[in-house]
Amino acid sequence: MTTPETVAKPIALAKFQAGDFKSDLKPIWCPGCGDFGVVTAITRALAAIGRPPHEIAFVSGIGCSSRIPGYTTAYGFNTVHGRSLPIAQGIKLANPELLVLVASGDGDGFSIGGGHVAHVVRRNMDLTYIVMDNQIYGLTKGQLSPTSSRGRKTVTSSFGSLEEPVNPLLYVMGYGANYVAQGTPADMNQLAKIIEEGIRYPGFAFINVQSPCVTYGLEEQQLRAHKTNMQNLQTSGHDTSDRAKATEIAREYGHKLYTGVLYRNPNPPPTYGQGVMERQEAAKAHAVSRSEILNRFKPAG
Amino acid sequence: MSQDLIIGIAGAGGDGVVSAGESLITAAALEGYHCIMTKSFGSQIRGGEASCRLRLAVQPVLNPNGPLDVAVALNWEDFRRFGAELPVAATTIVIYEASTGVAPDNLPLQGVKPAMVYRVPITEMAVKHAGADKAKNIVIAGLLAGWFGIGRESMLTGIRKKFSKKGAAVVEGNVRAFQAGIDFAAANPLKEDRKLAAPQAGRETKLLTDGNDMCAAAAIFAGCTFFGGYPITPSTEIMQYLDREIWKYGGTVLQAEDEIAGIGAVVGASFAGKKAMTATSGPGMSLKTEMLGLASIAELPLVCVNVQRGGPSTGMPTKAEQSDLFQAAFSGHGDCLRPVLAPTSVGDVFSTTVEAFNLAEHYQTPVIVLSDQEIAQRKETVDPIDTSKFELIERRRPTEAELANYSRFKLTESGISPISHPGMAGGNYLAAGIEHNEVGRPTASGEMHARMNEKRFKKFNPLKNRRDLFTVEGDPNAPIAMVSWGSVAGVAREALRLAQAEGLQVKLLVPKLLYPVAEPIYQDFFASVQRGLFIEQSHQAQLYRVVRMHVDFPATVKAFAKSGSNPILPTEVLARLRELVVSIQGSQHQPEPLVD
Repeated sequence: MTTPETVAKPIALAKFQAGDFKSDLKPIWCPGCGDFGVVTAITRALAAIGRPPHEIAFVSGIGCSSRIPGYTTAYGFNTVHGRSLPIAQGIKLANPELLVLVASGDGDGFSIGGGHVAHVVRRNMDLTYIVMDNQIYGLTKGQLSPTSSRGRKTVTSSFGSLEEPVNPLLYVMGYGANYVAQGTPADMNQLAKIIEEGIRYPGFAFINVQSPCVTYGLEEQQLRAHKTNMQNLQTSGHDTSDRAKATEIAREYGHKLYTGVLYRNPNPPPTYGQGVMERQEAAKAHAVSRSEILNRFKPAG
Repeated sequence: MSQDLIIGIAGAGGDGVVSAGESLITAAALEGYHCIMTKSFGSQIRGGEASCRLRLAVQPVLNPNGPLDVAVALNWEDFRRFGAELPVAATTIVIYEASTGVAPDNLPLQGVKPAMVYRVPITEMAVKHAGADKAKNIVIAGLLAGWFGIGRESMLTGIRKKFSKKGAAVVEGNVRAFQAGIDFAAANPLKEDRKLAAPQAGRETKLLTDGNDMCAAAAIFAGCTFFGGYPITPSTEIMQYLDREIWKYGGTVLQAEDEIAGIGAVVGASFAGKKAMTATSGPGMSLKTEMLGLASIAELPLVCVNVQRGGPSTGMPTKAEQSDLFQAAFSGHGDCLRPVLAPTSVGDVFSTTVEAFNLAEHYQTPVIVLSDQEIAQRKETVDPIDTSKFELIERRRPTEAELANYSRFKLTESGISPISHPGMAGGNYLAAGIEHNEVGRPTASGEMHARMNEKRFKKFNPLKNRRDLFTVEGDPNAPIAMVSWGSVAGVAREALRLAQAEGLQVKLLVPKLLYPVAEPIYQDFFASVQRGLFIEQSHQAQLYRVVRMHVDFPATVKAFAKSGSNPILPTEVLARLRELVVSIQGSQHQPEPLVD
C-alpha cells in the first residue's frame, strides 16, 4: 500500500487462513494447470498480509489466468481483454486504502494490453501485477503468444513463429519498475513469498509467474522441467538492490529460469497515490462550496 | 438603434482578434446584454488566421446566427478564409485596416457591395497611442465601443486590470489607444444610428462561460470525484478545468495513456464507489466503445461526454456536427441500452450534466452526453442558475440486511439491484464483463442470459415518460412541427419565434433525452401534425432516423439536415416552414392518420 498508514495496517498476522481467501467457485482450468498453484500462492500471501477480503480489489482481463479473481473471496473484477491495469488504477486512485491486485497472462498483459504496462510502471501506481506467463494462448486453444519463442509452431504459426518474444522482465525493468520478481508453482513457498513481498512493497510490483499450460505447453515448460532447471536467486546470494545485475538476469528470460526477487529498490520512490493525496491536501483549503461553484463564471467587473 | 448586433472580427493569429472579442463580450455581459461569442481558427497551432463572432442582444440569444451586422477585417486574406463563417451582406457595416491599401468601393468581397464601409488606420493608431502595433485589438474595441455604444466604462476597467502588471506606461498607452478608437468613431459617425439599445433588465449578474467549462463545473457540483481521459479536440477543456479544480474536492484527474485507459480508469473508480466521468470526441468515442459495454453489463454508473465534431475518422476536429447519435445509441456489440442526453446551450449543459450523473447513479449505467463543438467552445451569457433546485441522486447501496445475504445482480421489480463497492464488508462480489447470475457468478445459461438482458433493459422503462427531459414550444395543436436537438435547437427556437411573429401555426419539440426514444412523448407530439421537419447538423439526419425506428409519425415529416460546418440559419428554417404551410393548403387529400 502507498501510505505509511496503509503499509502499517497489514500486520495482523495469523488472523486469516489461506482458505478464507478461496471462494467455492470451481475453476475452469485443465487439471494440472499452473494457475491452480498461483491462486494458492496468492491466497497464502493474502493470509500473511492479513487484510480482510472486502478491503481487497482483485482485477483481471481475459484469458485462463484472468478467471483468478472469481476464485478468491476478494472484490473481483474480471474485465475486458488487456485492460485490467487502467481499471485497477482507477480503483486505486478512487480508494487508496484498498489493496489492489491485478492478474493477467502473457497475451492479456503483453500483447493486447501491452501498451498500458509502461504507464503503470512510470506512474509507480501502488499495485501488485501478477502475470501468469505460459507462452501460449490457452483459452482460445493454442495460438501464438507474445512470449512464445521464435520458431514455435502453433495453430496460428503452422510454419513456426517469425517474431522474437517479448521479455516481460526486461520490459518492466526498462520502464523503471522498483520491484521485479519471477516465480513458478514448482516452488510454492517462494512464489507465495515473492507475491507477499510484492504486495507489501510500497509502489508498483511486478511478478512474472512461469505458470505452465498443461494442454498446449511444451515439455520443457512444465513444472517437472522447472523443478530441474530453476535457479533460485535468493539462495544464490543475488543482491536484489543491484539494478544492473537484475537487468542482466532479466535478459536471460527465455533461456534460463531464474526465480525469486530480481530487483527491489531499497529506496522506494514516491507513488502516484502519494502525489495525489498531497495535492488534494494542499488544494482542499481553496474549495468553494459545491453550490457556489458557478459564481466563478460571473464576469469580473 | 439595434436590438441585436452580430460582429465578426478576423485577422492574423497574434493580432489579438479573439482577445478583442473577449473584452467586448465581458463588457456587454456586465452591462446586462445577452451574448454569444464563437471563435474560429485556421488549423495551424500558432499563427495562421483567427476570427471571432459576437452576437450581442437585448433579448436572449439562442444561436450565433448568420450574416454580419458589422465586419472588422485586419487583413482581407485572413478575413476571406472564414468564408461562410463570416458572411457579409449589403447591409453589413465594414470596418477595415487602412494599410491593406484596398479602396472602400473595391472591397475583395464576392457578390456584394456594402453600403457602409469605414477604412481605419488601425495599426497606425495603435503605434501612435500605445507605442506598439500589438494594441490593434484595443483600437478595435474602442471603435466598436464608440460606434455601437458597447461597454465603454467596463472595457476601460478591463484594460486597466489586464495591463496593470505591465506598468503605468503600458496601461496609459492602451487607454489612449482605446480612446483613439472612440474618438475616430465620434469623428466619423455611422450613416445611420446602429447603437445597441439599452439592456432590458439593466445591470444583472449573468454568468459568462463556455460549454466545456460549464460541463466540468456541473460534474463537480454533481459530486464527481474522478476524471480519466485523454486530450482530444474539442473536449479537452473539460479535463483542463477539472485538473485545476477537482483536487479541491478530494478528487483526481488522470490523464491516461490513451482513450481506452481513460475510460478504463473511470470504470474502475466507479466500481470503487465514486462518481466518475470521462470526456472525449469522435475518434475517442470509437475507442471507448468496448468499455461502455463493460460498464453496461457490470451495471456500473459513469458519465461519458462526447463533444461532437465532424466525422468520420479525424473528420473536422474544430467544427461542430451532430453525427454521433447513431454511435451513442448503438455502438458496441450485444443487446445493450444506455441513455443519451444532449444539451442545447451553454446554460443547458449544467442541468444536462447533472441529469447525466443522476441517471448514471440511479440506473447503474453509463450515460452519454452528446455535446458539440459549438456549445463546448462558444462563450455565452447564462442567466443565474439556482443550484439549490437540483436534486443529486446516489446509487442504491445495499442495506445491512441485504449484505447479510448479498446478491449484487438481484432480479428486482424495477431491474435495479443494490450495488456495493470494495471496502464494504459483506458486499464482496465478482464484477465481470462475462454474463453472470444474480450473485455475480459467470454463467453460460441461456435462461439466465435472457433474464439478465430483460433486467438491464426494463430498468430504463421509466425514462420514456420523463416529460421533463423534453420541451414543447409553440402552439400545442399546430399542424406544422419542428424537432431539433443540441446546439441546432437554438436555431429552431429562433425560427419558431420568427414563424410565430408572422402568424404561422408551428410547434417545436426539443428532446434532452435522445435515447432510449420516448415513444409516448413523440406520439403525443405528432398527434396534431401534418407536416414537419427534423432540423439537424448531420448528413444522415440521425435523430430523424432513430425516432423513425420507434415512432410511426407521418411520412410528410421530413428532415432538414446539413453536414457539419454548414451553418443552418433561422431564416432558412423559416422559409421551409412557409413552404410547409403552402403544402398543407395545397394538398388535395387528408393526411394519413397516425397509426398507433
